[in-house]
Amino acid sequence: MTAPKTKELARHRRERIWMWAQLVPVLVVLVVLFGGALVLAVAQSLGFAPWFGVNTFPDFSYFAALWGAWSFWRSLGLTLYYAIVSTGIALVMGIILALAMVRLFPGKTLYKYLYKLPLMIPYTVGIALAVIMLGNGGMLSRLMAFVGLIGDPSEFPQILKTHYGWGIITVYVWKQTPFVTLTLYAVLLGVGRETEEAAAILGANKWQIFFQVTLPQILPGIISSTLIIFAFNIGAFEAPFILGGGYPDTLPVIAWRYFNDADYSLQLQGMATVVSIALIAGGILYSYLALYRRYERRIGRS
Amino acid sequence: MKRILIGLTSVASLMATVAVAENAAATSFRDSFLSGSTTWEDVQARAQEEGSVNLYYWGGSDPINIWMDQVVVTDLAKLGVTLNPVRITGTKDAVDLVLAEKGAGKGPGEGSVDAIWLNGENFATLKRRDALFGAFADSMPNSANIEWSDEDPRSLLNLRDFGVETGAAEVPWSGEQYVCSINTARVDKAAAPSTFADLRSYLEVNPGKFTYVKPPHYIGNTFVQSVIYAHNPDGNGAVPFQSSIEDVGAEELARLITPGMEYLNALEPLLLGAQGGNARYPEDNAALDGMFLNGEVDFACKFGLYAVATGLNLGTYPEGAEAFVFPEGNMIKNKNFLAIPANAPNPAAALIMANYMTSVEAQVSKLKFTGMPPGVDPWRLDDAQVQALVDASPGLVGITQAELDANTAPDTNATLVNVIEATWLEYIERDSSDDIATIVARAVENLK
Repeated sequence: MTAPKTKELARHRRERIWMWAQLVPVLVVLVVLFGGALVLAVAQSLGFAPWFGVNTFPDFSYFAALWGAWSFWRSLGLTLYYAIVSTGIALVMGIILALAMVRLFPGKTLYKYLYKLPLMIPYTVGIALAVIMLGNGGMLSRLMAFVGLIGDPSEFPQILKTHYGWGIITVYVWKQTPFVTLTLYAVLLGVGRETEEAAAILGANKWQIFFQVTLPQILPGIISSTLIIFAFNIGAFEAPFILGGGYPDTLPVIAWRYFNDADYSLQLQGMATVVSIALIAGGILYSYLALYRRYERRIGRS
Repeated sequence: MKRILIGLTSVASLMATVAVAENAAATSFRDSFLSGSTTWEDVQARAQEEGSVNLYYWGGSDPINIWMDQVVVTDLAKLGVTLNPVRITGTKDAVDLVLAEKGAGKGPGEGSVDAIWLNGENFATLKRRDALFGAFADSMPNSANIEWSDEDPRSLLNLRDFGVETGAAEVPWSGEQYVCSINTARVDKAAAPSTFADLRSYLEVNPGKFTYVKPPHYIGNTFVQSVIYAHNPDGNGAVPFQSSIEDVGAEELARLITPGMEYLNALEPLLLGAQGGNARYPEDNAALDGMFLNGEVDFACKFGLYAVATGLNLGTYPEGAEAFVFPEGNMIKNKNFLAIPANAPNPAAALIMANYMTSVEAQVSKLKFTGMPPGVDPWRLDDAQVQALVDASPGLVGITQAELDANTAPDTNATLVNVIEATWLEYIERDSSDDIATIVARAVENLK
């Protein structure tokens, strides 16, 4: 009578062990590398850096100095502006593209490969493209000078290196639209066309179909893809550094400047900046998810 | 289980013994070399045993990288040493690595950096943290190519690095001068500014046609220093800026740099992009050179005696580029060096490499490949060697050696550089409303 039970238990235990064995590699990476770095960053931002001869833990003065400066809030505004605007544009373009991709049209096979191209090209190459195309010594300006629209390339209007961030936004959108499209396209394929066709037969117009039927179905895809690209945009360094307008810089660039300063004590200030980015990004992403969960519960899909 | 543990402990203790032995051998090698009881043959023999050398250097220049890979690697292989060139984006990364390893308790022979190409603040940092191998630079066979006697005023460039005494802990590798180039296709050479006042009047007529690299990048710091020398209220240029901050004092420094800082503040609305409300300071040389090439600015300044010739060859300078004398009397001259950190894993191989780099042959081929002026002193060489250097140089465009020599100025002391760059960031970039004395006092306090 007891034998099957122990067998059952043993099997259960084996399964549990197997489950943990599957989880361990990822856990190790997350806890040791990511968690360790995070703990170190927080400790340093609170004044723990004995290797520079600084140890005043816990010391909130680095955060106080950072948050007390007006320039920090300007930089934060700039960081959020680039992140939100590019996420928004990429989302709208991604939705339009994904909706187009589920239709049939000539050349669709080719197009399916074509739109994924930016996904395979690194950001740095995109930044270089922006410099080559849109810069004041770039192709556009030289072409215009060649045609005679402007006297010489240096008269070309400033697109890059301004605080409007057209260059930064262009690179983000160029790289992230395909990502959003890919996510939504997969969701749309899974959902199928039946519900939309049913709505059309019942007399809904195009807009009604999109907002009442399609959008709620692809919402999980929208949420997950925008979360990912927004998190990237808020912490990205190279595009604002190369294409940005200089002071005031975005927060990641400020952190980098602190790290590169000859004054080693500023590295703690840099760590405080990094921790601030993490706090702000984490806060925004968490509230975003919480709002979405509430919405999910409200429509009874949890 | 127990057996495994015992095995592990014994392996660990063995490894520790090996490390200690290595450490002891490295320490004794260092001590005997610095005391002069090691012959160069011993160094060569030990270098063969070590086998490789890790040279960390700024890898942002293709010609230098090509020269390293094609010439230095081959030549050192003949001496039984494998060069491992580690290219970094900023020299500070290598300094950080050395200090981090030192902080982790890695002593002689246990680090990972054998040599660094550096100067100025980075050397001062290593020296302050006591992370240097010691006085090797004047006790190698090729040290004879460099002037070490302090009776010759020209030796200052070798004995001091940004005002910090080198103590032979680094060996000169290249000598450079801060030279400005002008695009003669846009500006008549006769109308070229030669003083800062001229520059300002030129920019009032042609707003936006000039900018300088943003401090704390050293190229930007150098421009700021030359402005400060020229506006020294006592009229004695670079003289007071040779002493350390402890000797000068915050108050005195603030008094000395105020006119220069005010000039830079007044210049800002005339710089590139300022007409659109946002003056643009390029991040580095490459960015400024790009603006110069595109005709966005009419001038470009950097450390580069042969910058114009090299730039014309590579197509990175506009065709009308010529060097000119600016700022009059304040064209800063310095040398850059190779230093060996205290915890170098292969100190003997590093010495062999440093000695090779100081040879005339290496200096000639470096000049030929990269346009980097020699770090050895020509008056210490024989005529044939001097001729070889002259033949290898890309040549000066638009300026003569006599003009360059007549307008030299020394670097600023490294401890002041930090304060001046912090002041620039606060006063010019962040438009702080505090007066300069307050800003300088704060910077001095923070940098202690």
